[in-house]
Amino acid sequence: MKRTLLIARREFLAYVRTVGFWLSLLSLPLFGLLGGVMPLLARSSEPVREVVLIEDGPQAAGLAKSVQDVMAADAERRAQRAQEAAEKASASAGGAVDSKAARDAVASLTKDRVRIVPAPAELAAAAPGQPRDAVVRHLLGEETPKDQRLDAIVFLTRQDGKPGARVWTSRASDSTVEDFVRDSLRSANRRQVFQDAGIDPGIVVATDRFRADVKAFSPRSASGGEVSMRDRLPRWVGFGAAFLLWSLVITGASILLNSVMEEKANKILEVLLSSASATEILTGKVLGVAMLTLTVLIVWSGMGAFGLLTAKPELAAAVGEVLLHNGLIFYLLAYTVGGYLMFAVLFAAIGAFCETPRDAQTLMGPIMMVLVVPLLVLQMPDSPVARILSWVPFFTPFLMSARAPSDPPMIEIVGTLIGMAVTALLMVWLAGRAFRAGALSDVKLSWKAFAAAIRGGGN
Amino acid sequence: MTAALTLDGVGKRYGDFQAVRDLSFEVGKGQICGFLGPNGAGKTSTLRMILGLQPATTGRIQILGADNGRQVRDRIGFLPEERGLYKKMTPVDAIAFFGSLKGVPTAEGRRRAKELLDAQGLGASKAKKMKELSKGMAQKVQLIASIVHRPEFVILDEPFSGLDPVNQQGLEAMIRGLAADGATVLFSTHVMQHAERLCDKVVLLARGRKAFEGTVTEARATSRRFLELEGDIAADAVSKLPGVTGVEIASEGDGARVLRAALAAGAGGQEALKAAFLTGLDVRRFELREPTLHDAFIDLTGDHPDQDQSVSKAPEAAR
Repeated sequence: MKRTLLIARREFLAYVRTVGFWLSLLSLPLFGLLGGVMPLLARSSEPVREVVLIEDGPQAAGLAKSVQDVMAADAERRAQRAQEAAEKASASAGGAVDSKAARDAVASLTKDRVRIVPAPAELAAAAPGQPRDAVVRHLLGEETPKDQRLDAIVFLTRQDGKPGARVWTSRASDSTVEDFVRDSLRSANRRQVFQDAGIDPGIVVATDRFRADVKAFSPRSASGGEVSMRDRLPRWVGFGAAFLLWSLVITGASILLNSVMEEKANKILEVLLSSASATEILTGKVLGVAMLTLTVLIVWSGMGAFGLLTAKPELAAAVGEVLLHNGLIFYLLAYTVGGYLMFAVLFAAIGAFCETPRDAQTLMGPIMMVLVVPLLVLQMPDSPVARILSWVPFFTPFLMSARAPSDPPMIEIVGTLIGMAVTALLMVWLAGRAFRAGALSDVKLSWKAFAAAIRGGGN
Repeated sequence: MTAALTLDGVGKRYGDFQAVRDLSFEVGKGQICGFLGPNGAGKTSTLRMILGLQPATTGRIQILGADNGRQVRDRIGFLPEERGLYKKMTPVDAIAFFGSLKGVPTAEGRRRAKELLDAQGLGASKAKKMKELSKGMAQKVQLIASIVHRPEFVILDEPFSGLDPVNQQGLEAMIRGLAADGATVLFSTHVMQHAERLCDKVVLLARGRKAFEGTVTEARATSRRFLELEGDIAADAVSKLPGVTGVEIASEGDGARVLRAALAAGAGGQEALKAAFLTGLDVRRFELREPTLHDAFIDLTGDHPDQDQSVSKAPEAAR
């Protein structure tokens, strides 16, 4: 036992002392943060395009005003949303956040991307056709000083009563102004059509803003009636737990594979075998990497819990309730242990035959293909396919983690747990034999050699 | 002398391949025993069986009073043929780790590691990572890792391979030091000179079978002596000298050649020399050569110790 712990400790420290470990530990929260903040930062730092609107011909009269009206309505709507969001944030923070400051912060992230500016005199004076085109090119071109250069010039047109536009931009790759004009003209056209049909513009605006109040009810909801977020939470928690487990199992098993491969390639395994039994080495390594993945899990969960408690304490409480409901967290723990054990020992045994990742590909390819199956089925945890595949021990940890929060029949929970436990123990035994044989052999890895090693146990 | 190791009729079979056959020998406590044979003779398989890494197919092994090497692994030190340590560890950490697996507390292991590294002239490399050390230095570190727990029995598999002559000398000194401290040393090699210089006892192995067990002197005594003659001499004339059983040309130059004449068992060489001078042979230099262990090996097994005896179809484990 002491040797097992010594090997586990070395395995754990060998990875914890690497820069790569800390990078991967921080990568998920960092990418999560960047994923959430970066679009907002990018949007807030995006330059405002200065655009000139020109009504091209008498038929287009009034279109520029319509576009500006749509812009104004849009800005008003955004300001209102910012106010609502700020008040909500202020309320959930118990008044600790100043609602005006919050509103300004939100508004700054959702500012206008386009500003309408008056047409320069030379453009307004230019005659339509080639002379005006030349002025347009000049005003958008590189040769014009930056402070005088325009981002876009839009010629609004109306043909057969339908509004249209020709958009000149300084950057061919930027479609911001084009999209803005298209949306504005569509809104302007709709209002015009309704107005022409004698419908009050106020009614049009109110209709646009309408959102149907749809509520879901189910006799299986917590209240016995209306379905709440709390009723749907188990499914999300299950999906999250299953996906997390899948990631951890793959990560942990891959670390083990590489670690054993490195020891095999560097001829360390034989030295280890003269100091400890194959079982002690295998168990120590599996335990060491388990500690490693557990560390990652605890740090990620801690960060997630802290973030959730800070941002959405009521959601955090609900997630906690789901995890504690009917001892779900213990089922998840059992599935994690079983899943990790099955794949970790298998990968370690394969690693004992390999010196390079290329050597391992022979066996890893089919195993990885099998591992993708539960990922596909995870998205339909209540489907008959998921229920049937849950009984396949190699899929049990992932599929049952996804299904367990939704209270599947007890027979399925107990049955699949037993199947998984028996398979995990069998895998540990078989992998131990293969590990010992592989560690002392230079035989080229194949399914045949692997099976022979399991049969012979290296003797 | 009490036996530290006894092999009795040991055999090892891998599928259809018989790697070791009916092998029996003993190593007394405190002895340095050379386990000699060409590559593929079954040395590594035997050492692995002694260590308990692989079970014997037949026969019985007793080491330090135990029937299985695994029961006394903390009292055994082992240096495998193919060597390696964790590349990112420092020598001190690596030695302390392997020592801890053998029951040496980590702090004590680190202390001993520093002491042994200093003694081997590796004091300046204590804090370097293993990957930064030269091959010779890394091998020394590995040897230290295998003896840091002060084992009673040390098994070294081809310890001299890959070392330059200076490091080979250093290693020989280390082995002598281990024996002087009371440890029993069993080392395998296919280079006979090391065994000649170091061993109290040798066991010769060829094609999985024991060819000889005894002291180096006893081994040499099984072989013929040679008379080396240099001059403008015909091989035919030398073959007719008394006591000469065979002649071969060792080298040939301008008007002179070196002839190597094998002497019959018990023949002293003086008669042959006397006859050579009496018959007027142009002998410019002569030398009576005692047989080496290398010669003894060839005579005893009919094989050359440097030839590879591994069979292509045999499993690699049967090296």
